[in-house]
Amino acid sequence: METNEEKSIENALRAYGERIRFKQRLKAVQASTDMNAMRQEASTYRSESASQIRSIWHMYRTTLAVAASVAIITTFGSIFLYGSYQQSHQQEQQYSLLSKEIQAVKSSQRKLLNDYNGRGRGLSNNPAQVSGSGFLLTGDGYLITNNHIVRDADSVYVQSTKGEVYKARVVYTDQEHDLAFLQLCDDSAFRSMPPVPYSFDARPSDLGERVYTLGYPREEIVYGEGYLSSGTGYRGDSTAYQIAIGVNPGNSGGPLLDEKGNVIGIISGKQTTSEGVSFAVKTNYLLEALSNIPIDSLKGQPLRLNKKNTLAKLPRKQQIKRMQDYVYQVKVFKHKD
Amino acid sequence: MKESRSPILTDDELLMGLADGSDDALTQLYRRYFPMVLHFVTSNSGNEDDAKDIYQEALIVLYEKVRSGSLELHCQLKTYLYSVGRRLWLKQLAQRSRFMVRDVDMAAADEFAVGQIDDDLTDHEERDRQFDLMADSLTRLGEPCRTLLDDFYIQHLSMQNITEKFGYTNADNAKTQKYKCLMRLKRLFFSEYKS
Repeated sequence: METNEEKSIENALRAYGERIRFKQRLKAVQASTDMNAMRQEASTYRSESASQIRSIWHMYRTTLAVAASVAIITTFGSIFLYGSYQQSHQQEQQYSLLSKEIQAVKSSQRKLLNDYNGRGRGLSNNPAQVSGSGFLLTGDGYLITNNHIVRDADSVYVQSTKGEVYKARVVYTDQEHDLAFLQLCDDSAFRSMPPVPYSFDARPSDLGERVYTLGYPREEIVYGEGYLSSGTGYRGDSTAYQIAIGVNPGNSGGPLLDEKGNVIGIISGKQTTSEGVSFAVKTNYLLEALSNIPIDSLKGQPLRLNKKNTLAKLPRKQQIKRMQDYVYQVKVFKHKD
Repeated sequence: MKESRSPILTDDELLMGLADGSDDALTQLYRRYFPMVLHFVTSNSGNEDDAKDIYQEALIVLYEKVRSGSLELHCQLKTYLYSVGRRLWLKQLAQRSRFMVRDVDMAAADEFAVGQIDDDLTDHEERDRQFDLMADSLTRLGEPCRTLLDDFYIQHLSMQNITEKFGYTNADNAKTQKYKCLMRLKRLFFSEYKS
């Protein structure tokens, strides 16, 4: 043990000495070495290195990365800017009024078949230029539709689901809320109907409320249903609801009803850039407009809204059957400029 | 210009020369591969002095392996030195908290070679620790023992020279003195080394 340890300390000391001497030798070699030659060789090392491409890559990859990111940012930036520029300029046109420009070639066959009293003949020979929907406020012939449908009209006709055509008079228009009040009783052929089955609910409706509408995107009445998706309309318009119903030109002016058959709005337009985003004027603006109608315009026939809802307990199909007689297609004739 | 006249040695001849303590071999070895390490270190945020230190250490690893006859090369000598230097420099960089290196050459990738280099560096670290402790013990030993042992074991002076230098009456006296010093060093060294 004693000798072992003695050996090992001696060996350790010898190894230590060897390292020290080797270091001294190395230092001598280092001192005698021409550093310039070494540096030169080190720099040729770079260019003669087998991995020349790799070293070029190493040298320029930062530059490349920067260039690539600049390119990406520029590309997406300009796409984004262009997009937002276009959007801001298109937004004016995103809101499309749903009155329908009727094409002269449209077939009127069905109308002719239903034209038992001959009144529709004028219409079929001379199709309307604009059409939309409207619905009765009272059984005695007051009808509401959108202002944009009847604007600049020379004459306005309404047509029921049964094909009966009546001439209508524009009683009052509210441009601000895009509402127009029509009266059918100008036409002697119109006979008062039973009171309207739906009532008018001016209270704000809740999001998610199941809603439906009836309208005339084509010659026939069309049912559409969806839900209330926002309490405000186009660009935060607080006078309207946003609803998720697929509506088409011609739906404008149709009633928007909740599950119980209360009218909560009047379909007025949709956003063209997205599917299923439509808008409806809230009923309380209808009531507001109603109270603004000068008494003279009513010609002594008071406009009293129905308060009794007879649809509330009916299933949807019955509701529709009951109310479709009160929803009219509005046809408008204008001067051609 | 003198060394350019000496024949260019192969790697094996270089290693043999290194083991025999040939200055010519050491010089050739040093100059042959230093530019590679210099380039590696300087392209990885080091300077020339760093490169010299790293290369010196790498050569020490090689030298001590060769001297003890335990060198097993599983790759080219160039790759061995590059890999060892690279590892040593990486360790330094890690201490300076930088981890990315740009290679200027292929480091050893073969499993055997990497394992061998790992072992060699572990040995090297262990020896470093031992030598640091030895230097420390020698300092604490005090004079004249430190110089006596230094002269005998490190400078390899003969016992006769030492007897004269230290003014001992004869070589036996000097030997006794050296033995006593060695025993004291042993105690100092092992009290630290084993704990």
